[in-house]
Amino acid sequence: MKDPVLVPRPEGLYCPAGNFYVDPCGKVKRAIVTHAHSDHGRPGHQSYLCSETCESLLRTRIGKESHVETADFGKKVRIGDAIVSFHPAGHILGSAQIRIEVKGRVWVVSGDYKPQTDPTCESFELVKCHVFISECTFGLPVYRWSAEQKIHHEINQWWAGNSASGHASILLAYSLGKAQRVLAGLDDSIGPIYAHSAVLSFVDHYRKAGVRLPEVKKIEPSTDFPNAIVVAPPAVEDSTWIRRFGHARKGFASGWMAIRGARRRRNLDRGFVLSDHADWDGLNQVIQGTEAEEVLLTHGDGEALSRYLRERGMNCSLLAGAVIRGEEEE
Amino acid sequence: MKAFARLFHDLDSMTKTNERIDRLVEYLESAPPEDAIWVCWLLAGNKIKGAMKTGELRILAAERVKLPLWMVEECHDRVGDLAETISLLLGSDSSSESLGLDQTIRKFILPLKGREGGERREGINRAWDHLSMEEMLPFHKLLTGGFRMGVSKGNLCKALARVAKVEPAVIAQRIAGNWTCENLTMREILNPSEESAKEMGRPFPFCLATPLQTEVEELGRVEDWLVEWKWDGIRAQLVAYGGGRGILWSRGDEAMDESFPEILACLPYLPAGLCLDGEILPWGREGLRSFSHLQKRLGRKNPTSSILKRQPVRFQAYDLLRIQGEDLRSKPLAERRNKLECLLGSLPKHLPIGLSPVVGEKSWSKLKSRREESRKRGVEGFMLKKRDSEYRSGRVKGSWYKWKADPFHADMVVVSAQLGHGKRANLYTDYTLAVLDEAGELVTVAKAYSGLTKEEMIEVDQFIRKNITGKFGPVRGVRPKLVFEIAFEGTQASGRHKSGIALRFPRIRRWRKDKEPEEADTLETIRGYAGMEAGEEKGAKTDEDGNLLLF
Repeated sequence: MKDPVLVPRPEGLYCPAGNFYVDPCGKVKRAIVTHAHSDHGRPGHQSYLCSETCESLLRTRIGKESHVETADFGKKVRIGDAIVSFHPAGHILGSAQIRIEVKGRVWVVSGDYKPQTDPTCESFELVKCHVFISECTFGLPVYRWSAEQKIHHEINQWWAGNSASGHASILLAYSLGKAQRVLAGLDDSIGPIYAHSAVLSFVDHYRKAGVRLPEVKKIEPSTDFPNAIVVAPPAVEDSTWIRRFGHARKGFASGWMAIRGARRRRNLDRGFVLSDHADWDGLNQVIQGTEAEEVLLTHGDGEALSRYLRERGMNCSLLAGAVIRGEEEE
Repeated sequence: MKAFARLFHDLDSMTKTNERIDRLVEYLESAPPEDAIWVCWLLAGNKIKGAMKTGELRILAAERVKLPLWMVEECHDRVGDLAETISLLLGSDSSSESLGLDQTIRKFILPLKGREGGERREGINRAWDHLSMEEMLPFHKLLTGGFRMGVSKGNLCKALARVAKVEPAVIAQRIAGNWTCENLTMREILNPSEESAKEMGRPFPFCLATPLQTEVEELGRVEDWLVEWKWDGIRAQLVAYGGGRGILWSRGDEAMDESFPEILACLPYLPAGLCLDGEILPWGREGLRSFSHLQKRLGRKNPTSSILKRQPVRFQAYDLLRIQGEDLRSKPLAERRNKLECLLGSLPKHLPIGLSPVVGEKSWSKLKSRREESRKRGVEGFMLKKRDSEYRSGRVKGSWYKWKADPFHADMVVVSAQLGHGKRANLYTDYTLAVLDEAGELVTVAKAYSGLTKEEMIEVDQFIRKNITGKFGPVRGVRPKLVFEIAFEGTQASGRHKSGIALRFPRIRRWRKDKEPEEADTLETIRGYAGMEAGEEKGAKTDEDGNLLLF
């Protein structure tokens, strides 16, 4: 391709026209960050540009003193010879797709995204472009999500059932984004809601951004749990922390739970298929909707999706140096 | 089907055995008997065979959801379970009235058998139009025959026993053997009385030994124990009804009559209402042969006279469970053994039936040194049975032990892998292992599935996914890097492995992260272990009566 807007470098995607990187690792001068998850917003860069709602979340990752500038969604900013704007990605609070225009050519880096509804973050916006760099975490047709309300209902039913039989409920959910989304759907008439400190630390940020969340309590040593639900990050699963809950039931909210093997391997009582990524239909609709003449896939099992799109006449390939498969942060 | 689907999903999500049994009891008490009998039949390990080949199922599913066939394969690879893959791909928005399990099977599955391709396509699409999302997975499990619900046959017996208020062993006997939903009813299974005429001819659930995990001295006085060699054959019960009729019954609950007609030929000499427990062994004129000889008889029905001649077998009896219709299982072993010896002593010598001899030693230390003979004799070690023990169902602790000879060990390299099943459905956990031949090439000698921890399995899976060198059907070639220490019980000739030998009972002992593939053991070393068996073809190990000559 002649004069690409973005080129892959060891540190990440680089824009020569604007001399900046998108979601880089290592130590770079200027980093544009799609969202505050740790595999996208990393510490160590000289200066950061992110969305306004992303800023406070990002600072918890990269340190309070870091140099961070923000851009309003939709507002065009000139950086060198590039025109950059942020567009909601619907992944978590403050998550953005980055639109970069150089000499009339428009590239969009999706970051992580989902077109499904989620009241805890800005709704996904479809952005037309020439080249679309899309995540494809769930790029297989076995991954198709049910409506969010249905999953919230399942979670509440499970919690109520556990409470009725005298068991506390521990719901594992990634601490930033998924946990808050889960909290927003909980029915606090069933019992008290507790959260692990890793989850709590982000709750206030969400509240400040105007997201409605139920009352969430901190776990004290004297806390009594029989009808409570505890939202905690998946990392606690095999820790001593979780022992205090005795015979609690364990559930996990993640897109990976669509497959029984993933749930059974973890010895969970329940898996709730709730994802902050696009499902198969979502990926296909968004990719079609961008009307991009070229699609580059990253972050996931891209091979099947790219072959599928190529067979349907689309110019699609894997982004060079793309991250192949990670089953952790969902 | 709704109630069955709910049972299926509940059992699937429960992690504790007792919860599963409670849930099953709840289902069995509330379900219509025509549905419950299917659940019993399925959980007893039966499958609906021949409704549709999986290849055809993939094609029809791909066609319905308008995806290329390769995508179905990709998804299967990720999900690890075909029934689940198909269910996820198809989805459902049906709101049709749900049929019962029995009706569903009779309306949508059984009619597919023996139909033309076009009719099968229509049939399966009608089912797909009808089924709700919840019903999809259990339906496809029924269709593909790979039914596991996390409830063992033993636990099914416990659940049924609770419903019927009889002993689990009684239930186990009622649901043992070949039966179908046409010739056994829930009423018969749940019959509150303990014996019925029909049960006379049935085999009993097998009593299984546990591995000895303590020092043998801790078992107490040696005189309290009956010691036998642990045979390397096929466990079986020989049941005589009288009048020359009867069955030969495997631990896998299959009748093996057609595979071993010469053993059935003993029936006319045996009294009615008899049940013997023992082992089918490869047994020539020279005596015991290695297990590989028996493998030539396995799965082969109605063997030709030439096979019968070349690969003779015999039934080595070690317990008497019933005689003249009287159940002896609650009598002490010593008494059963006496009766068994009398019975076998009265039989004509030419019959392929023998008595498993007792190893009578006065001390544990003497037995310990005798155990060293196991390999030479072609047996696996000792069986220790308490003289006053009853014959109980299933795996028992405290009265029956297997005291095996120490296994061999060798370091081997993983050269290919396959996805596992069940909990390991989307993990590469089935490994093919190789050692170095004379030219320094890796040659395969074994497949192993068990022995790694959950964490190790995940780590190995991740390595394999990143190091796949080729696809051969479901098998993935893997860059040789992982070295495992494998424990095994011996070696035998094999046409399946390139090396020409295969290991007996290989399992992973530990992951040798400290070793490189070049440091794997050699084929010669493995053959050396085989050498311990090499005498088998020449030397006689037993006399005509089955007494080991080395005694």
